[in-house]
Formats: sequence, structure tokens, C-alpha cells
Amino acid sequence: MKERLTMELPLGSEIMTTVRLATGSMASLMRLDLDRSEDCKVCVTESLLLITHAGFSRARVTYYEDGGLFVRIEGEGERGAACAVPEDEISAALLGALAENVEIIREGMFSVSFAFKA
Amino acid sequence: MDDKELFAAYRATGDIALRNEIAEKYLYIAAVIAKKFTGRGVEYDDLYQVASLALLKGIDRFDPEKGILFSTFITPTIAGEIKNYFRDRSRLVHLPRKVAELRAELKKASEAIAAETGRKPTAAEIAERLGVPEEDVVRAAEAGSVVSLDRPVREDGLSYHDVLPAAEDPFEEVDNRDAVLSALKTLSQEERALVGFRYGQALSQVETAKRMGVSQMYVSRLERKILEKLKEQFKRGLV
Repeated sequence: MKERLTMELPLGSEIMTTVRLATGSMASLMRLDLDRSEDCKVCVTESLLLITHAGFSRARVTYYEDGGLFVRIEGEGERGAACAVPEDEISAALLGALAENVEIIREGMFSVSFAFKA
Repeated sequence: MDDKELFAAYRATGDIALRNEIAEKYLYIAAVIAKKFTGRGVEYDDLYQVASLALLKGIDRFDPEKGILFSTFITPTIAGEIKNYFRDRSRLVHLPRKVAELRAELKKASEAIAAETGRKPTAAEIAERLGVPEEDVVRAAEAGSVVSLDRPVREDGLSYHDVLPAAEDPFEEVDNRDAVLSALKTLSQEERALVGFRYGQALSQVETAKRMGVSQMYVSRLERKILEKLKEQFKRGLV
């Protein structure tokens, strides 16, 4: 698994466009078709929402090349009070529906990882 | 009645009123998921329609005894239906044309804002003016990078001009046009009107329904019926 890009970012709606564009670029680099590239953007956005609701204000997004695109997103820094919303259930189910090898770790750290095979 | 009782009562009786009660309660999931799939060349109204129909199908299939939340069960069902819809429409959605159109609008909006403010506008300002996501503006601007067709792309000196296929094959175009015209003749007046609104004027199902004075649900059903009919005709070589 080869690391291709890592970004550390503050979690706010204003940064989402940047993250989605970077995700689209990485998906294109890994030869995902347009539909899967869009699905990947949805998964990254949903993961960041889950991490925000888990109480983090920063996240680290890492893109790996692994027979396609593998993405790991982790909460960074101090963890504040969680504010889970009912839509979190939808986010998690959507990740499972769109991506492969989805793993959500909620204990201690908070991370979401998933893959899109080329 | 709580959710479990509602689903159990619906499964036992098949009472449509109960199904509608469940649907109303969970319609927000259809809305939330439809929103997540916007920006791919299909309007939100159409996605919401597809998601709502998937919700209804899902209610019929959901078994509360299996111990999972309805939201967990229905999300992949709705996402799957929306993705099928994209697949079915993929021949009709022309992303490059969409980007090209947005680029033209972007240029106009950019000049207008510059004239008003005396400075170059930001992507956010253009997005607001055009009523599109900021991301689309950035992507459309990025798509404008110009590459010379005469630039050599291969070791043997062939250029883009030599290796790129022609955008349109004029013979194929005539062939396609004839096939479409013949196919349209087999449709009723109402069906032709729908095709005109949806594919000629690229109106959403909601807009089409308004023009035809019918419900969006009716437009959706009729459109599906027309596409099936045309598909069958092409398959059987009738046109």
C-alpha cells in the first residue's frame, strides 16, 4: 500500500470543497471511473461528518494506492464532547453501500477507512 | 404505535394507510440521501423521486424481526436505486456538455461581477450568482486548460489531432436521427410531449408534470414505460 497524499485540516464546511476536489483528483489518478469518483467523494464527506459529530475539530485524511484507492480518515487533536445525530446512522450505512472494506473505529481514537478498487 | 408495531401491523394487514404512515415518517431519509447524490448531472427533484420510490419498495421488504434499524436497512436500498438510475441514464447525461455550458455561463457571470465590483470575482461569488455549488465552478474552470491539438503525443510524432477520434461520425449521426424519429412515431401524442419536455428541453420531472398538468409520479411512470417500450423496439429491430 503506497501513501500518495496526506492532508491535515480543520473541520468546517468551508474546507469541504477543497477535500472533495482533492479526493476527485486522487480518484482520477487511481483510474476510478467518474461514478466511483463521485461515490468516493460522498464517502469522504460522510466520514468527516462522523468525525465532527464524534467531537473532533481537526482530521487527517490519507490516500493510499492499493489496487485502487484506499482512504483513511482520522480525528486529530483533542476530542471534545460528541454530538451524535440520527443522520450518523445514515452516513455509516451509506459508506457500507458505496465503498468496500469499510471500517469505522470508535474506541479511543476515531477513524474511518474504506477502499475503492480500480 | 411505535416503529416495530407499525411495521408488524403493515406486514400483517398490508394496509396502505399504514405503509403511508411509515413512508411519511422516513421520507426525510430519501431527501437526505438524494441530496448527497446531487451534482452528477441529474436534478435533485428526480433523485428525490427515485429515492422515495425506493423507500416504498423497502418498506415492503423490511422485516423488523431481523433486529436492524430501518434507517440502516433502507440506506443501501435507496443508494442502490439511485445508482441504478444513474446507470440507466448514463447515455443521456452528457457531462462534458454540462461542463462546457457551465464554462460559458461562468465567463459571462465573471465579466458581469467584474463590471459591477471593479475586480475579478471569486469562485464563491460566481457560484452564488449562478446558483451552482462552488465545487462545480472550480471544476469547470479547471476543465478549461487548453492543449494544442498539434502537440506531439507519441514517439512517432503523432499529435492529438491524429490520434483523437472525431467527435461525431456524420453517418452514424444520420442513422441515429432516423432511428429516433421512427421510434418517436410509434409513441402516443402524450408520450411524445413527455419526451419533448424531458429530453428536448431537458426539464425536470417536476417541471414536466407542471407543463403537462399531471403529477410527478405519473410523469415518472410514463417515462419509465416509454423507455421500456423504446428499448424493446430497438432490441427487436423494429425501428
